[in-house]
Amino acid sequence: MSSLDGPATRPNPIARLASLWWRSPQSLKIGSAILVFWVVVAVLGTLWIPYGYAQIRTGLPLEGMSWGHPFGTDQLGRDVFSRVLYGAHIVILLSFAGTVFGLVVGATIGLISAYIGGWLDEVVQRLAEAFIAIPFLVLALLAVATAGPELSGEPGLVIFVVALVYTPRIARMARAAALDIITRDFVTIAKLRGESAWSVMRRELLPNTTGTLLVEFSLRAGYAPALIGALGFLGFGIKAPMPEWGLLISENRALVLIQPITVIGPGLALASLIVGLNMFTEGLARILGRTVRLGER
Amino acid sequence: MNILRLIIGRALGAMLTLLLVSIVIFAAVELLPGDVASRILGRNATEVNLAVLRLKLNLDAPGWERYLLWLGGIVQGDFGVALTSGRRISDILADKVFNTLVLAGVAFLLYLPFAIVPALIQAIRRDRPIDHGMSIVTLLLLSTPDFLLASLLMIAFVVFIPVLPAVSTVTDATTVEGWARALVLPAVTLAVVMAVYAVRMLRDNLIEVLDSDYIRMAELKGMSARRVLLRHALPNALIPSLNITALNLSYLIGGVVIVERVFSYPGFGNLLIDAVQVLDVPLIEVTVMIAAAVYILANLMADIGAILLNPRLRSG
Repeated sequence: MSSLDGPATRPNPIARLASLWWRSPQSLKIGSAILVFWVVVAVLGTLWIPYGYAQIRTGLPLEGMSWGHPFGTDQLGRDVFSRVLYGAHIVILLSFAGTVFGLVVGATIGLISAYIGGWLDEVVQRLAEAFIAIPFLVLALLAVATAGPELSGEPGLVIFVVALVYTPRIARMARAAALDIITRDFVTIAKLRGESAWSVMRRELLPNTTGTLLVEFSLRAGYAPALIGALGFLGFGIKAPMPEWGLLISENRALVLIQPITVIGPGLALASLIVGLNMFTEGLARILGRTVRLGER
Repeated sequence: MNILRLIIGRALGAMLTLLLVSIVIFAAVELLPGDVASRILGRNATEVNLAVLRLKLNLDAPGWERYLLWLGGIVQGDFGVALTSGRRISDILADKVFNTLVLAGVAFLLYLPFAIVPALIQAIRRDRPIDHGMSIVTLLLLSTPDFLLASLLMIAFVVFIPVLPAVSTVTDATTVEGWARALVLPAVTLAVVMAVYAVRMLRDNLIEVLDSDYIRMAELKGMSARRVLLRHALPNALIPSLNITALNLSYLIGGVVIVERVFSYPGFGNLLIDAVQVLDVPLIEVTVMIAAAVYILANLMADIGAILLNPRLRSG
């Protein structure tokens, strides 16, 4: 039905990917390289790091940069470099899981709301708007307060908070994208053919909104490490001694007057990961012919 | 007539959203499964403590009744009493909200030049090294979370070049100079975060406008380049950015939470974090409600601004 978008017979996928890669914009290549780097670091970081992530007295407390401790040591003498490496998989897994969760729930709500329309659509839109009206960090804090002290520090809560912040935003985007498709002839034909609502949504709406949703996913994933970091920084995210980067920065911030590198090191890690995600998003959006506003919150 | 109807429609929509927000907040904090009182008290829960707290929060009344009482109070300007300090919330809020408004106001004033000046330079020198260079800097800043940017600015201007205070406490006794020194770092952090979000779009808008026929016309009739840029191009490029500015305002309300924490600035955001830490339910409800109300109001203003600025609607 959308035969204009791609050839009917597909050449082998590896050749297609390779040619796509060579034609892809610079930002996508650089972004992918940075992301691959961090994924490799995250995997290796769980297998081997110079010192244990919670090992104290690996050197003197508050040492500066050296070959043994590239990011110095914190007040307990823990090696900040090892902590950053170990923290990579925590940050990446939480960001990914939270964004996927938000995407699945948000896209489902958005597509159903657009397809069914009527009062249901109206109610869903109003509710989404209400959730978006609470600034995301304030909403996150409200969720943390609601969860209460027993759940605080649980990875599941952090994932839930990310999903909660993203769900209404993604739902609104998915609905808008779907509304654009619903009026097209092929959807009408599918309906007239007697396809069930579920089938129309899965076979007509979902494939045609995939591009928008992919870019949206990538965009949101790019902000997730910052959101998780902000929660950790405020003491409402992952709990010590797990070296989530935001928490790491907030722990070492008290001693920034003595050893700035203990904050700059984890800060570089966090910023470079987000640069990678942002460049990837920009490149992806260009390939798929979408506009994207980086840094959208 | 047409405009008025549109504006009233938007205003009613905003009020409906605000009402829904109040339901969401109240439901989140009070109606979720589990006993609110024991959740607040945690390990300190004894029979007596629980009973006292339940009485204080009027927990034995049905949920909808408490919600209506709470909403009625807020509508009349009665925000209730904070759990931990026992003070009236409106008294606690007054100072903090004032401080935050000062911070947000200064940040917003800095945001405008921070966004417009780089965009103008980039648009004039488009595709030259300076344009590319500034795009890279924008991308880097865009990828730096606010708490990190605040910490890095602190390292730069407190540790390496010690000119500013690390802690931005202000009291009634603070002098104007003290205020200024306290506000620089938090305000600059917020302004930069907002500006980098707007710069890219503003640059693209400016370039689009500069390529248009009426700009060429203005150039051809001999108008100076500066006048063309500032009188014709800039205003037209700014209108589509109103939407971005509304989004930025909504960021600002959340952003103050982090930035006030980093610099220990005694404002609304710090109050919210303290309230969440000790689970001061009435205080959490009111602060979240205010944050959402400000967001909704900012959006409403942006909507109305867009309606008023749109000549097609104006004439109709």
